[in-house]
Amino acid sequence: MIWLWIRFPLLFLVAVVMQTTVSKWIRIFDIGPDFIIIFIVLIALRRGPVVGALWGFFAGFALDVYAPVEWLGAHTISMVVLGFAVGQLEERFLTLNLGMKIGVLGLGFFICDIVYYLAVGFERGIVFNLLLTQTLPESLYTMVCGGVAFKFLFEGNLKNKHV
Amino acid sequence: MFKITRFLKAIASIGHGLVVFIFLLFLAVIIRKADVMVKNSIVTTALSTIFYPVQSVVSSIDDFYGKSIENEQLKRENAKLRVELFRAKEGLQELSRLHKLVRFENQWDYPIVTARVVGRNPGRFLTTFIINRGKNHGLKEEMPVFSMRGLVGKISKVEWNHASVQLLVDPNLKLSVMEKRTRVIGFLESVKGRNLSAMIPTNAGVKTGDTLITSGLGGIFPKGIEVGVVDDIHKSDLEVMRYMDILPFQEFSLLEEVFVMQKEPDWIVREMLK
Repeated sequence: MIWLWIRFPLLFLVAVVMQTTVSKWIRIFDIGPDFIIIFIVLIALRRGPVVGALWGFFAGFALDVYAPVEWLGAHTISMVVLGFAVGQLEERFLTLNLGMKIGVLGLGFFICDIVYYLAVGFERGIVFNLLLTQTLPESLYTMVCGGVAFKFLFEGNLKNKHV
Repeated sequence: MFKITRFLKAIASIGHGLVVFIFLLFLAVIIRKADVMVKNSIVTTALSTIFYPVQSVVSSIDDFYGKSIENEQLKRENAKLRVELFRAKEGLQELSRLHKLVRFENQWDYPIVTARVVGRNPGRFLTTFIINRGKNHGLKEEMPVFSMRGLVGKISKVEWNHASVQLLVDPNLKLSVMEKRTRVIGFLESVKGRNLSAMIPTNAGVKTGDTLITSGLGGIFPKGIEVGVVDDIHKSDLEVMRYMDILPFQEFSLLEEVFVMQKEPDWIVREMLK
């Protein structure tokens, strides 16, 4: 029972540790994966939009605390939207294979970044530029890492265990 | 208690979580639209209560991995420094004579506090990090932060035992710089929260590979701290100015230790900050 309660906080902690350590070590041309987004997508697919949006809120706020104070709330908004949007594809109602889950992760990454850029208030030209030069390569890298995470976590211990 | 749980579950299930989503989004928008003072207070409270201890643990893990690599680098650096020390001793004697000669004013004669980076922004825009020194160690807001390689940023917020450092790549940090060779003054800012760009007069003759240092204007950073090199030059909308891509001397995401110069802002900046 305790395991069920601490499972997601523990996963979140692992995601934060990986984001602040591993992500830095495996950067290629200043492009790195986003483990926090992998975590939100994973949670939302497992537990639906409510839990997805809630964890999106907490994770987004955690990111916001370390971002420039003027941008406070932008990560929170984008992550809540991500958690809720991906949660609509909750696997209790839909059966997604690994490829589709990775596709959802990539799409979610784009949605999250677009909402974030708009929430921060970047100009349209800069948003388009950022989407091409940053979001696209980072989403691809995140999809690769997410694929590995989904393979182990969805088909491993967490499979078919709903609270 | 059971009724409350059932009530909350019922609300959560309405419209497949739409109510919860709208509530959380509303909360997030309120935070986003809040006044800067309120935002500062939210961030400070969050940092001092939960995030600082967690980040200390995360930082220790990162530190452990970095130690072995750092050890190798330090050995090589040690050998190199021994040779340089010999040269420096001779140079110091010469410098001492020259100081007396030109009555050189040592502008960097400020106490230095060494600090360890204990918290980083986990997001993709690294614009701030947390150091393990604060008011108890004599730090104040707006004090310059630098590393062995050059300027890092300035202190943006100070608590008793930790402080936030606003990095050069923060779009909200703009500073006056000087090109070392031509002595021309320019203006440095961050582009997209990631790259550095400087605006320098066209006729100054600045070329790629030239070094930028702080100009000492602006009242926060002392003159002469190295910032970066000119990587590329672009035309700007103004005929008389050029945009330059600046390559900083250090990778901000890899910084582990920094130095804080206990230099308070000049009186005019202090007046403006009041």
